[in-house]
Amino acid sequence: MKPAEVKKLIINSLDIKTNPLEASGKLEEAGVSYDFSNSFNDRVLDRLFSLGLAVNSKVEFLKSMNFAFYRIAFTGVAAIVILLISIFMMEGSISFNSFLGLSDSYDESIVCLLTGN
Amino acid sequence: MTARPYDEISEDELIKASLDGDRKAFGEIIRRYQKMIARTVKGMLGDSAYAEDIGQEVFIKLYYSLSEFRGEAKLSTYIQRIAINLTLNELKRKKRFFSMFAQKENNEMYELEIADYDYEERKEASEIVNKALMALDPKFRIIVIMRMLEGYSTKETAEILDLPLGTVLSRLSRAQEQLKNILKKK
Repeated sequence: MKPAEVKKLIINSLDIKTNPLEASGKLEEAGVSYDFSNSFNDRVLDRLFSLGLAVNSKVEFLKSMNFAFYRIAFTGVAAIVILLISIFMMEGSISFNSFLGLSDSYDESIVCLLTGN
Repeated sequence: MTARPYDEISEDELIKASLDGDRKAFGEIIRRYQKMIARTVKGMLGDSAYAEDIGQEVFIKLYYSLSEFRGEAKLSTYIQRIAINLTLNELKRKKRFFSMFAQKENNEMYELEIADYDYEERKEASEIVNKALMALDPKFRIIVIMRMLEGYSTKETAEILDLPLGTVLSRLSRAQEQLKNILKKK
């Protein structure tokens, strides 16, 4: 295809009335084709898979976070339950005071405790 | 994953297999879309080894975001968006730091895949297109590539670029005017 024809094709391809697929096909026929090198596919795959990066890191990270969250939450709940049981066994009730360890203390003794007098 | 040849497997199956770490399945996705991405990336950045690196980044980014692909858009649209975002970011980065040098490099480094027959004519056609593209502002260039090289309609272009249809139409018209002037000079 002569340069003048190529130029005309370029301009016409942008016309609203022109079928864009047809125009791009004509340009490809004229020699306007793009591709990556022959080893492109292998190079991308090597970068992804040869270094052990194939696992989808983001998904793995979210899964790990999820797992870690459940473990921490479970441990926390278990610790709270054990604490409440031990308070109940030691104090005989689960009131706010017993939770703070103040069940046997009178107000005066707290003042003494805090002021040292 | 299956006894069927990879080129007969549906996209959904290829995505699922890729997520399970099937190298060949992802290789097939690359094979199906590498020409499309080459047109976008090389059209935007010029034909160079650098554009090839960006092309690799497109597929690497695709791989790591495959789990987020919900199938609401076509996979081709999804990849195209990744390619456009990466190339536009690269152009911004280049413009910021190496504007003078980059333009020269892009214009000089054309090395297209050309068949043996009609070598000179085909090479000339490629050069005309590439030089014209490089002379355009990137925001017009991407519209021209989507239509002229990828063969997308204005509606599809608007969808891929996430632009209003009116904007695409006006940019297309302005790009056509600019190209007329550019090609007249050459």
